[in-house]
Amino acid sequence: MAPLAGRRNVFGLAALALAALPALANPYILYVTNIALIYVILAVGLNLLLGYAGQFAFANAALFGIGAYATGLLQVKLGLSFWIAFPVAVLFTTLVGVVVALPALRLSGLYLALVTLAFAQFTQWLMLNWERVTFGAGGFRVPALTFGPVAPALGLYYVTLLLAGLLVAVAWNTVRSGIGRALVAVRDSEVAAEALAVDLARYKTIAFSLSALYAGVAGGLYSAILSFVAPEGFDLFQMVVQFSMVVVGGLGSVWGSVLGAGLLVGLQEALRAFKGAQEIAFGLLLMACIIFLPDGLISLVKRRVPGWEEPLRAPDPPA
Amino acid sequence: MLPYLVVSGLTTGSLYALVAMGLVIVYKATTVVNFAHGELFMVGGFLAYTFHVLLKLGYVVSLVLAVVAALLLGLVTERVAYRPLTRAPAISLVLAAVGFSFVLKGAARQIWGGLGDYIPFPPLVATPAITLGGLILVPQQLVVLAGALICMGLFMVFFTSTRAGKMLQATAENAKAARLAGIRVDRVYAFTWAAGAATGAAAAVLMAPLTFVYPDVGSPLLVKAFAAAVLGGFGSLPGAVLGGFSIGLIENLAGGYIHTSFTDISAFLVIMVVLVVRPTGFFGPRAVRRI
Repeated sequence: MAPLAGRRNVFGLAALALAALPALANPYILYVTNIALIYVILAVGLNLLLGYAGQFAFANAALFGIGAYATGLLQVKLGLSFWIAFPVAVLFTTLVGVVVALPALRLSGLYLALVTLAFAQFTQWLMLNWERVTFGAGGFRVPALTFGPVAPALGLYYVTLLLAGLLVAVAWNTVRSGIGRALVAVRDSEVAAEALAVDLARYKTIAFSLSALYAGVAGGLYSAILSFVAPEGFDLFQMVVQFSMVVVGGLGSVWGSVLGAGLLVGLQEALRAFKGAQEIAFGLLLMACIIFLPDGLISLVKRRVPGWEEPLRAPDPPA
Repeated sequence: MLPYLVVSGLTTGSLYALVAMGLVIVYKATTVVNFAHGELFMVGGFLAYTFHVLLKLGYVVSLVLAVVAALLLGLVTERVAYRPLTRAPAISLVLAAVGFSFVLKGAARQIWGGLGDYIPFPPLVATPAITLGGLILVPQQLVVLAGALICMGLFMVFFTSTRAGKMLQATAENAKAARLAGIRVDRVYAFTWAAGAATGAAAAVLMAPLTFVYPDVGSPLLVKAFAAAVLGGFGSLPGAVLGGFSIGLIENLAGGYIHTSFTDISAFLVIMVVLVVRPTGFFGPRAVRRI
């Protein structure tokens, strides 16, 4: 018999609670939960790249931004409906992710971090300066979504919930499949992985495009919930927020990312008005977690609750 | 226009070179890139502002005080973002440094952010521009260029001729052998972080009168210093200096002849192109993969 606090029961309950939430909560709670679900998508995607494939890249915030901009701009400039603009934008973001993966095939470690940092700054610069297309620093408004008789906030919430559930399930199945094992092999030793006939180029590209796809979906949903797109949401601080979520939850743990994203969105909301305090809080949290709890909060859960074991945990640091 | 662009390119380039030197010093000794270096620079600038403008101390005194404060901050960085993680994977080190950089940025925003978005720093010399055979020279720039060159010279002398500098080189060359030779490697590591932060602060104090001081100045500058270090081949001090001057020239020329907005992105493009085409830069060692 499955344990009472096993994964299946906990997630069944959580899914029920999330599905019933609109009936119980006020609009603000619904909005924050919606944002949290978007961050769940982002964090799970980033974890596939960082925690499983071990590729340290700063590109995720920029890709998130590209997803949001593409979704918004396709609607505003070409007059497409959201339902066409959104998938096209996701596809475009994924393609950009593949392009970002190109240097990753040749570079590793530090150099990869540098190239993707440059890519992130370049994207930010385009958003600010390519005013003819991106409307510059002020950003632009996106037409509000309508769902027929259903209230827009409610409709968008269920769309986000559905997509988040789907993408988390995809990630969970991916990491337990041959792809997941190959990604972990690449992370733990590229040389050993190659010797075991793991095609490095192929699996790095898979990791980058998967995380870009997740970021694109999150970006499109984010532009819809805010009805507004501006450069400042997609800067380096966004990257730190996502890093914190993945690390606080647990590198190399899908459920850890779900947990980390859910918890830290609350922190971000609480400090919304104070940029300096947000930076200090997330910076400290990231550092403290790396130093004192390197396997994240999920490691505490795993240690205490039976039935939460996840395969492919992060390796012990080399002695 | 060309001579003017070259002079201003060399001036900003000299500052990039200083910042890049700070990065490379730490990297050489510890093989860790200090992702908080840009924020150490930024804090250095704000400290100088506090000493010079708010407390009305002399410029040179402020410079020295800011550099000393940055030394201490460098020691703190080493203590919180490097030493606890010497056995951790490389990803953890970078994440910790990124976290620390945002703590510094947030703290600067809390402390100095109320003073205004961009804080002007009074000029060092009030003399107007000199025209020399058609070449317009801004004395301010010349002072900065000279100051940066002096700082670089001091560091070079320190590395090659002093006992501490030689210990540092020995540790960078082979930490185990250095330990066997009786060098306290841990102290050397701490010292390199302090020295790296100090070069950053020196650059910040020199740069402040030319630009503005603001909490977000760190990350773009870090990218430029990375570009300089990468161009020079990460890990080479002369390479970092040459790379810094090159980045300064490239961005000024691109800004002058193509479009002003290119000033900001030349460094990103240089990083992307260099790393994809020739990751070893000018002077970098051939990549050896350890298994």
